[in-house]
Amino acid sequence: MRTIGFSTGALARGDFRKALQMMAGKNLSAVELSALRQDELRALVEQIETLDLTAFKYVSFHAPSSMEREFERQALQLLEQVAEIGWPIIVHPDAMYEPKEWARLGDRLWLENMDKRKPIGQTADHLTRFFEVLPEASLCFDIGHARQVDPTMSEASAILSRFADRIQQLHVSEVNSQSRHDRLSFESVLAFQRVSHLLPNNVPVILESRVEEAEIEEEINRACEALTPENQLALTGD
Amino acid sequence: MPETTSATSVTRGLLDVDPFRRYRDDSARTRTELDELLSKEIPAYASDDTSLVAFGSLARGEWTAGSDLDWTYLIDGQANSDHLRISQEIRKAFLKTKLQEPGQTGIFGNMAFSHDIVHQIGGQNDTNRNTTQRILLLLESQPIGTRTEAHERVLRAVINRYLEEDTHPLTQNSKAYRVPRFLLNDIVRFWRTMAVDFASKQRDRAGEGWGLRNAKLRMSRKLIFASGLLVCFNANLDRALQSEISTGKNDVKLKLASHIRNQLKSTPLEIVARSMEDYGVSAAVAKGLFSSYADFLNLLNDKSSRESLKNLRSEDSGTDAVFQKVRQFGSSFEQALSHIFFENPSVAPLTRKYGVF
Repeated sequence: MRTIGFSTGALARGDFRKALQMMAGKNLSAVELSALRQDELRALVEQIETLDLTAFKYVSFHAPSSMEREFERQALQLLEQVAEIGWPIIVHPDAMYEPKEWARLGDRLWLENMDKRKPIGQTADHLTRFFEVLPEASLCFDIGHARQVDPTMSEASAILSRFADRIQQLHVSEVNSQSRHDRLSFESVLAFQRVSHLLPNNVPVILESRVEEAEIEEEINRACEALTPENQLALTGD
Repeated sequence: MPETTSATSVTRGLLDVDPFRRYRDDSARTRTELDELLSKEIPAYASDDTSLVAFGSLARGEWTAGSDLDWTYLIDGQANSDHLRISQEIRKAFLKTKLQEPGQTGIFGNMAFSHDIVHQIGGQNDTNRNTTQRILLLLESQPIGTRTEAHERVLRAVINRYLEEDTHPLTQNSKAYRVPRFLLNDIVRFWRTMAVDFASKQRDRAGEGWGLRNAKLRMSRKLIFASGLLVCFNANLDRALQSEISTGKNDVKLKLASHIRNQLKSTPLEIVARSMEDYGVSAAVAKGLFSSYADFLNLLNDKSSRESLKNLRSEDSGTDAVFQKVRQFGSSFEQALSHIFFENPSVAPLTRKYGVF
């Protein structure tokens, strides 16, 4: 059984307590605490100690997806507190104004591949440039973003092959044409299965699909189906 | 098996010198200038859903004086009625450059939608225009400016579509990739369509432009066809690709798709040059091919020769001095290609197996 759970931002945007309530009793083993907007960061960091996360064997933390330049230093100070707990911190490459400064987070910094709306960070080549500056960083592979950038999944395959050793977490959801995270459609399940043989088995999966509480389990099942390799042998000569 | 004298240094050398270097630099400069012009006239003219794509000599790196400016506003996203307006603005901006407008067929200088290009391969709805856009997108297209995402997505989707239909991508012993037949057949079909359309245009346009079209058919259009065949054959001949074969069905196709995409990042001339190197084509053959192609480009770059070809009708071709040159270098070019495709020990067996039947 995979370590799998939801992002609090997907379930209840900035209301992380509500999201944790929605996840309670659903046998989820992972959670990602999200502060996707910069004004949510301080409140979440300051309340970490008050949260009951004992049900989860894996916790990660999502840094703001974008921020003002003036806020970057402050954000880093707050995120250092998260790094001290030992949780991985998921960061969008384009949210960093001074990537070198983010090396302060050491191996707790996990970069995420981006959707097509973002100016950088979508391809294996883009990501290589970031890892050159931040060699200790890992990768949170967002399969929905990769599919939106290239529905044939060639780019996903390139990222998965090139960064096999760096991938530490998966983000799973359907990313629609407006770059919003949606529930998994049959189309995205088919696409994800195309590269499922390249996905590491042992890394935690965080769903970013926007679902109602009643839909959580069904979405988890669909994600597991999407991430399971087909075990089909190559067709050979006729 | 390589032939006696390797072409390696010769082909590399031939593409790195004039006139090829000059025309390649001119193409790159023109694309940059067009981007600058459009960025000024229509800021953010492309987006993550749209790319402005150059075709023809501008894309192949063979830009000469008097070359047509062939372009398409490629759309891969939500339908939006503003797309037409943007493509009209692009056309208006390009008119100011005094560059030669695209030909009369309407294939270029217009919008194109990814859905038809990707989904309508074969069948009643795959029009002449759709086939042309699709194959040229694969074999000779270059996005203008920085918004290249839509172009890249559509190219990959087209390659993927061809491979999806090939149910047996590997040879019987699973040790090698087969030549992707669906893609190859479409490239062959496109070449034959161009040849048939040559006759059709002659009739429709009462012989107007015959000389120039004939020269292009003998040289640049044949080059595109040859490079397309070589890309298909390379799927079977590339040793590094064969060494990566695994047992996963999806993996097999993903690797082949990536390989084909990487191949198609090169211009047709570069594909032919690299093939000569890879398959050990002799230096003499390489020289024959590239010098005849250089003669062709130089002739097109000469205003009076180009004009003369444009005005030449078939009935006068026997006595026309410019056309005699076309015949001469056209024949050398064909001879060199024939050598590669019918005599080279690596390529010839594939030509026999896939080229006709």
